[in-house]
Amino acid sequence: MRKRSLLLLAGAAAIVASLVIGPAATAGPDKASAGTVVFIHDQEPPNLRPSWVDNSLYATSLVDNSIFQGGQIYNNSAQWVTRLFTGPPKLIKSNPLTTQFTFSPKAVWSDGTPVTCADWRATWQIWINPANNPASRTGYEDIKSVNCKGKTGIVTFKKVYADWVTLLNSGVWPAKYTAGKDANKLWEDSIPVSSGPWKFQSWQKGTQITVVKNPKFTIAPMKLDRVVFRFIADTNARFQAMKAGEGQAMEPQAQLQIADFQKDKNFVVKAVAGYSYEHLDIQFGPKGAAALKAPYVRQALITGINRPQIAAALYQTIAPGLPTLQSDIFKTFEKGYVKHYAAYPFNQTKVISTLKGKGCTGGPDKPSAGNDKIFSCPGVGKLSFRFGTTSGNQLRALTFEVIQRQLKSVGIELVPRFQPAGLLFGTTLPSSDWDLMLFTWVESPASKITAKDKLACGGEINYGNYCNKKASALLEKTATTLDEATRTKLLNQAEAMMAKDVPSIPMFVRPVFTIASAKLKGLTTPTTLEGDFWNVNSWTLAS
Amino acid sequence: MLQYVLRRLAYSVIVLFVASFLVFTFVAKTGDPLAALRLNPRISPQSVQNIKDRKHLDDSIVVRYGYWVQDAFTNGFGTTILGDRPILPDLWRVMKHTLQLVIIAELLAILIAVGIGVYSALRQYSVFDYSATTFSFMGLALPVFWFALMLQVGVVYVKDWTGYNIFPIASLSSVDPGTGIHFWIDRAHHLVLPILVLMIASIATYSRFMRASMLEVVNSDYVRTARAKGLTEKRVTMKHAFRNALIPLITLVAINFGALLGGAIATEFVFSLDGMGLYYINALNTNDPYPVMAWLMVTATLIILFNLIADIAYGYLDPRVRYD
Repeated sequence: MRKRSLLLLAGAAAIVASLVIGPAATAGPDKASAGTVVFIHDQEPPNLRPSWVDNSLYATSLVDNSIFQGGQIYNNSAQWVTRLFTGPPKLIKSNPLTTQFTFSPKAVWSDGTPVTCADWRATWQIWINPANNPASRTGYEDIKSVNCKGKTGIVTFKKVYADWVTLLNSGVWPAKYTAGKDANKLWEDSIPVSSGPWKFQSWQKGTQITVVKNPKFTIAPMKLDRVVFRFIADTNARFQAMKAGEGQAMEPQAQLQIADFQKDKNFVVKAVAGYSYEHLDIQFGPKGAAALKAPYVRQALITGINRPQIAAALYQTIAPGLPTLQSDIFKTFEKGYVKHYAAYPFNQTKVISTLKGKGCTGGPDKPSAGNDKIFSCPGVGKLSFRFGTTSGNQLRALTFEVIQRQLKSVGIELVPRFQPAGLLFGTTLPSSDWDLMLFTWVESPASKITAKDKLACGGEINYGNYCNKKASALLEKTATTLDEATRTKLLNQAEAMMAKDVPSIPMFVRPVFTIASAKLKGLTTPTTLEGDFWNVNSWTLAS
Repeated sequence: MLQYVLRRLAYSVIVLFVASFLVFTFVAKTGDPLAALRLNPRISPQSVQNIKDRKHLDDSIVVRYGYWVQDAFTNGFGTTILGDRPILPDLWRVMKHTLQLVIIAELLAILIAVGIGVYSALRQYSVFDYSATTFSFMGLALPVFWFALMLQVGVVYVKDWTGYNIFPIASLSSVDPGTGIHFWIDRAHHLVLPILVLMIASIATYSRFMRASMLEVVNSDYVRTARAKGLTEKRVTMKHAFRNALIPLITLVAINFGALLGGAIATEFVFSLDGMGLYYINALNTNDPYPVMAWLMVTATLIILFNLIADIAYGYLDPRVRYD
């Protein structure tokens, strides 16, 4: 019996050992072939249909941006770089707005057919077809006509569309492959042609998408043989897989694990300020706290929060020196950025004296970390506010703790209302039934043109119900102003007025991180959602 | 027996119906699958409304549930809310992956656990027995996600020392898995760590069960009688004790196996294995009730089925049990 039991155990052990030793014997440090970059990402696209209402994922654009290449694309500094066009699109006349683009003679699809104005026009027609569901028709719906002559197109608008350059630069779909097809079902699992540096090769569902060099793309040809997008859902596993050499690049969210890579000579970590920014929205509507309608209370809030300290507490280790954002419209690194909210430097003593000066009672006499006295103000009651943000986000939880502590020490109470992102953004935020809401606006270089949506009276995403009619009129005007310098001036005039009202509290621009193997050269972290691959033509991988 | 099976199946249909309605209600009420779209200022309200109309999201829960039942029976569980992706092909794909993981892990776990359990019982209070007991309690106490993460960290340490990545950290296959035998070797290589994680908890449970069951049997009257009749110790143990001691374990394994087929959620998530568990987590994250419901129905059906198999098996293996 003893012998038999031991044999049984030995048999089981042998099976385990065969699994362990057999494959391990063939394993090496870099299984991917030379010239292959494995990019680790958290989300797998549901399909390959970019900018569609059911798929506006960043993951999809990462794959598709280099397949449906644009006339010009953003570089890492948010400047336009020419790709399929011969140069920047031209403004022919302002009234009616008439513009022109020309595709380069080198712009060809991977099947050899040239990319022409007919492709651009077909893409426009797909976008405006009411039967189709693109994520947005903005701009396309303002086009009156597209007149094509070979590779040149003249686009005439029905009304002024200030962001016409971005629109004309958009990637185009191949007319030859879209004609007569239901656009809502296109590019479900594959894309047959490409106009960019790579073309689609395969999709192993649940695991990876592989794209290979497009030999017909000679404008900025890729040096790599292929790029493989590996999808790893778990955050820790992504970092461990990177360390284990299973990937050569990743674009992580702000996580403390990034610090480990900063110390490791095998990796290069880069961080730049992006176009997304964290802010604290204030509710002006009837469902919000009455006290928030008083300007001095909002000014007390912004003055009582040490914003530079919060940015430092969150990012000191992984992105030191992150500046405090002092505008709701321009980012810290943009031309035109004016520090409108710098008028409210952190000053706890001033908060208390302001509130007392307005007749508020019951609060502390001086700032104190252990304070538990909360102010009540005439006509608006106790300064106690519901603070909403997403649950399960460590950085936001830490932000809340710091803000709560700072405001409590000056007699303002915050009550946490953390919710899952789906519930918070789907139900609570649009309902306007909240007082303060901490979240990120995901923006692009062109977002400022439509700043009216979030800040003007009745704006589409003005969930805080803020309204300053004079500022609104200026914001509306910017949306139809073609000249960038004039637009910048108008936006700053509007924000100068709004800053006095404190419609929201800008915190900081969110840094964008990339971690890359030291063997990978050429990757530059982008500030925009164009993605890391905007210059994939420059990437090389040492063997 | 047939009457018993039919009665159990009839109960199961009712359980499935009630469970599906409750889960559908909870998932549909607690999250908004269109939340991300609403937050995107570039997506028009009309586009969002089109999706709501297509998926009847403005109807009452009962009506929506009715549409889901119709889809489940006539259209392979229908399509996802976002992406309009057919659910059944994805579910079938992930089920096959989970089967590969669970079958190997359970077979190995049973083999090892039976060995440990039997030997521990026969050598009660020996060093081996105490060691196995300690191991079992550790195995039961280890949080799966933590153990999985520690294994990944361990692999990275080994790589730092040796330069070799002995086991893959994530996914079911390499970038270039090859074909034929190479594909399966690559798959086995990727499954080593997840299997190890799944096995630890199963071995801990099964070996304790096997030990207890074996101890009960070896001290029973019929085993004493067999010995008194002059049978060899080997024959007594293998023929009379071991087979009977296996009966409770078989039922436990059947039930556990059914539950695991729903996906080893933590293991699949940490190792990014494209299986039922990861599918379920992804579906929950999108607040889409349709893939969640499809997962639930498949999982619940399997659990009910394997519970039934366990009961029937028990009846066959133990002649004292009768189903009237």
